[in-house]
Amino acid sequence: MTQIRSAAQEAAEDIFFGQAVIIYARWFVIVTGVVVVLWTSKDVAELTLAVLMIVPLIAINFFVHGRYLVERPINRFLLLALSVVDLLIITLIILVWQEPNGFESPYYILYYPIVLAVAFVFSIRISVGYTAFCLLLYSASVIFYDLAFQNTTMLSDPHQIEWLFVRLITLAAVGGLGAFYWRIQRQRRRLASGQREMAPTTP
Amino acid sequence: MTQSYAEEQPHRQVKDNSSDGQVVLPRKKQGKSKMRTSSEDLIFGQPVIVTMRWILVASGLILVLLNPDDLALMRVQIIVLLILAMANFYLHSQLLMKRPVLDPIVYAASAADLFLVMVLIIVDNGFDSRLYVYFFPAIVSFAVVFPSVWTLTYVASTMALYGFVSLVSGGDPLIILARLLMIAAIGFCGNQYLRIERARREAAIEAQAEMKKYMRKQKATTPTGRPVSQPQ
Repeated sequence: MTQIRSAAQEAAEDIFFGQAVIIYARWFVIVTGVVVVLWTSKDVAELTLAVLMIVPLIAINFFVHGRYLVERPINRFLLLALSVVDLLIITLIILVWQEPNGFESPYYILYYPIVLAVAFVFSIRISVGYTAFCLLLYSASVIFYDLAFQNTTMLSDPHQIEWLFVRLITLAAVGGLGAFYWRIQRQRRRLASGQREMAPTTP
Repeated sequence: MTQSYAEEQPHRQVKDNSSDGQVVLPRKKQGKSKMRTSSEDLIFGQPVIVTMRWILVASGLILVLLNPDDLALMRVQIIVLLILAMANFYLHSQLLMKRPVLDPIVYAASAADLFLVMVLIIVDNGFDSRLYVYFFPAIVSFAVVFPSVWTLTYVASTMALYGFVSLVSGGDPLIILARLLMIAAIGFCGNQYLRIERARREAAIEAQAEMKKYMRKQKATTPTGRPVSQPQ
């Protein structure tokens, strides 16, 4: 059977259909962020700072969701750029939002749904790069915070290294599993549409 | 592994069984179709579950051996990891031999994953344990494979049990809520992606059938000279 879709068309469809998952993941992060900041703010200045961190995420998601609803989803470059902005905002929350910050901040869990959603939508090369960027960003930010504000280095505490390792490995696992599943689904779709010659020989 | 098995499992949701080549799903089989689709999802998704479990075992083992604290705790951790490894070896060998595992076993194995992570968390001081992050890959692996009802049941049970354990062990309700919301987010996103992909696949099957119908009308032949209606 001849190919009825090119690889480029297929990638565009992945972005078109898959970006709903990124939108949902971002809404979950926003809801969690809003709950956390409303609950923990102790004064007006703190709440203002918090709102300034969350509002860009809300604005991004309204824009992306609106475009998706009118069936004019944003292109892959903008989608990827906005996903990078997500990571930067979460890192900012880890670094500046109420103590404990840095390694002890509990808000690193906000990375997980975003990394998973990106792995579902983009090709393996991009999603692996994105996951690696997230791991580097998180590691660098906690090490930087410890060096700059704690006057200690987490490298001297084996327990902290151990827990950093657990966080990084689970984050990488979530991104990796998402990419693996994306590949399986692409293969199933190609088989379903009779594009056998496009399918890889191994998963 | 998936590829070879996939080729033995043709997509049969849409059958071309009418005289004029129209695509119809037999009424009798429509009820079973959903079940079959779920079962196919399980077959194709099993490599994800098995991979996740190997990641869990390998990282857990490194963690236990890297920085041993307490002998009793270490014993429990090693026993749990060995059980997990043995169960996964069985499931992996079935996949390698292209013998699909029964659906109830797949469901039970994923429930056992969550249960074992929960046991490790309870042994490791409940809320203070940082092992809860293992829930994330575990939930990803079944959310992209199981039907929505099963995913909902597993995620809700995990949230309820983890929430209870954390509260009882004196955790901060706000941090517990944030963790629970992220567990829900992972489950929801995985399940949404499964549904989107299922819809895309069904559309691809229909498009393929439409194309065949069109080619048959045009009396088209395959490169080997056979009419398109005949199997190649």
